[in-house]
Amino acid sequence: MTREKMGNILVWILIIGFGVWGFPGIIDRFANGHINTSYGSYIPWGLWISAYIWLIGLSAGALMISVMTYVFNIKAVEKVGKMAFLVAIATLVGAMIAVGLDLGHPLRAFSLIFDPNLSSMMGWMAVLYTAYFITLCVELYFAIRKEQTVGLQQKNIKKILIVLGIWSIPLAFAFHGGVGGVFANVIAKPYWHGPMLPVVFLAGAFLSGGALFATVAYIWRPSQSKDEFLKMMIYLGKVTLALLIFDEILELSEVYVGTFYANQGEGHLWQQILFGQYWYVFWIVHLLIGVLVPLFLLTAKSKSPGAIALAGLLIAGSFLAVRLNIVIPGMLDPEIAGIAQAWVHSKLTFSYLPSIMEWQVLFFIVAVVMAVFMIGKKILPIYQTAGDES
Amino acid sequence: MCELYTYILKISLKGVAMSKEELSRVDENLTLETDESRRDFLDKFTKGVFGGLIVGGVVSALAPVQAKANKHGSNLNFSTPFKPFTLPPEHPGEDATLRMMRDLQRALKKPIEQRHWNMVIDLRKCVGCDACSVSCVAENKLPPGVVYRPVIQQEIGTYPNVGHVTLPRPCMQCDEPPCVPVCPAEATWKRPDGIVIVDYDQCIGCRYCLNACPYDARTFDFGLEYIDGTADAPKVFLGKEKAGKYETDPSYEYAKEWKRQDDASPIGNARKCHFCIPRIEKGMLPECVVTCIGRATYFGDGSDSESLVAELIALPNAFRLKEEVGTHPSVYYIK
Ligand code: SF4
Ligand code: SF4
Repeated sequence: MTREKMGNILVWILIIGFGVWGFPGIIDRFANGHINTSYGSYIPWGLWISAYIWLIGLSAGALMISVMTYVFNIKAVEKVGKMAFLVAIATLVGAMIAVGLDLGHPLRAFSLIFDPNLSSMMGWMAVLYTAYFITLCVELYFAIRKEQTVGLQQKNIKKILIVLGIWSIPLAFAFHGGVGGVFANVIAKPYWHGPMLPVVFLAGAFLSGGALFATVAYIWRPSQSKDEFLKMMIYLGKVTLALLIFDEILELSEVYVGTFYANQGEGHLWQQILFGQYWYVFWIVHLLIGVLVPLFLLTAKSKSPGAIALAGLLIAGSFLAVRLNIVIPGMLDPEIAGIAQAWVHSKLTFSYLPSIMEWQVLFFIVAVVMAVFMIGKKILPIYQTAGDES
Repeated sequence: MCELYTYILKISLKGVAMSKEELSRVDENLTLETDESRRDFLDKFTKGVFGGLIVGGVVSALAPVQAKANKHGSNLNFSTPFKPFTLPPEHPGEDATLRMMRDLQRALKKPIEQRHWNMVIDLRKCVGCDACSVSCVAENKLPPGVVYRPVIQQEIGTYPNVGHVTLPRPCMQCDEPPCVPVCPAEATWKRPDGIVIVDYDQCIGCRYCLNACPYDARTFDFGLEYIDGTADAPKVFLGKEKAGKYETDPSYEYAKEWKRQDDASPIGNARKCHFCIPRIEKGMLPECVVTCIGRATYFGDGSDSESLVAELIALPNAFRLKEEVGTHPSVYYIK
């Protein structure tokens, strides 16, 4: 059985498994709204908002791969540009479902597309995501058309793709830096507030998206010679490694500033992240699975494509832990000491552990993301190259 | 030299034509404003770096937090024509409530934009009984998990030298409310009379404003009911559904009937204290003011120098919570 076939079977099993397990959560969300979630009014955002920034980051990262293909003309990834668009679209769809289900009145959100409040960073998000979605669809269309045309027509389409690719660079910076801004602009939350967060968001997005793409390209590689394939994987491995190192430098700086004078500023929040009840999210899920093991795999001498793909999968999957550690600690401090004891209710507390229903919904969303990718891959000619009629 | 510098700074900050009082206020706020402007700069810088988003910063800076003729067409900046009713003649030693009601009547005769509602809470008189919190729940038919005016109780000191502080916390109706510009749906804004309101019909329930409020003054309506999880024995007793009839009683916030059914607003919305708009528009004091057993909560038009609240705000021991965040609350405390 080829690697692609095995991948297909495995992913469809996961889609069905996640879908079946997650479906009751979706039913619960529609039947009971937000009642069975663990977030409340003092910790208003939880797993779904973290999943939204995780998925949208993956999308931005995948978009950057397509920019490498069509704008910078990097040979190693020239055959996977269309697949990068597909990954970006699938993860964007997942991110939008996650944020949509998090809203109290999701249907009203559609009006934001035409009539957003531009003094709100979240209002900007509605505009930017719409622009991003349209850009991705148009880019994918032209990327497919490019392979179906020849001569002058193909040249023109190439030019269009370059223009669209150049346009997607500031767009990606704006919409993902902007997501960082949604948090960074909240003066009431000192853990979030500051000019570095948008940069941290961008670095994380490019890392996690690039890493995910290394896995996708490994399983569903286009028809390439063995040599081409090896070159592509080594290139993706190098990019992922560079981004991982850069991201870790940023993180180290954050941890250093956050913990040096542990009893000042947000030091106590860092204490919670590192040594609190949920210490394993940082040390095991993020640092061990998401950083150290991939670092080992990516720096190994053998440069095996399988190891690079596995490193990518570990980084991309565990990045949800990074997102959770950004979103949740920011809300752990009461604005006024003693407020949780003033009016006691389970929705008025300062602790948060996602409920089963929240996890179910998340797994369902991941199943949808994978299904969109698999169906898109099946119905769109993303493997087709110029002159290839099949 | 230093004084001269401060004076020059004052003049350049506010212009030459400043009253003495204004100058002294600048004096107090000088450090604060420098701090704020630094934060402001960083804030704008972040926005600026990320491409076209600088436009957002500009829009945000220019957008008035005050009602923009409500583009959604709902009329929440209403001020219904007030029909004054007769109050007992003024007499020495009368209850403060009567004076505040007179103040209220006077204010309601003015156009809405000439009033500024303020609340003053005398912490020395608050006994921490929670009567205000509970009456607010009754008045606004608040479901479980939604609270507009919790009373925070804090013990200070180390045993045996301990003290007890109680601090009722309504919405501060900030003059610079951070909860307003963050709303992606323009579902929350400041009325001309100073009250920050939520348009339940527009709110998408994103809870961004909950995070933006530096006083934790907003809560989310999860659609919970008090009878959730209680025993049900319809044949033996009245039965859960009948006993819980009050759960679906409508509330009349913003002078509109809000029925709690089928996930309809205000379920799924951000909710907050609104100084009991429907009551004050009719000349009645907010529910928390009239139910306060210690007469610790005062309410009125701060822009009317004759009013009781204006007198109290001017006391040297009046202060506002978290002045340093630059929200300019309309709620004052006396210590
Ligand atoms: S206290 Fe909070 S909810 Fe009330 S106006 Fe100020 S920022 Fe908004
Ligand atoms: S919860 Fe409602 S009022 Fe608050 S920011 Fe979101 S849409 Fe606006």
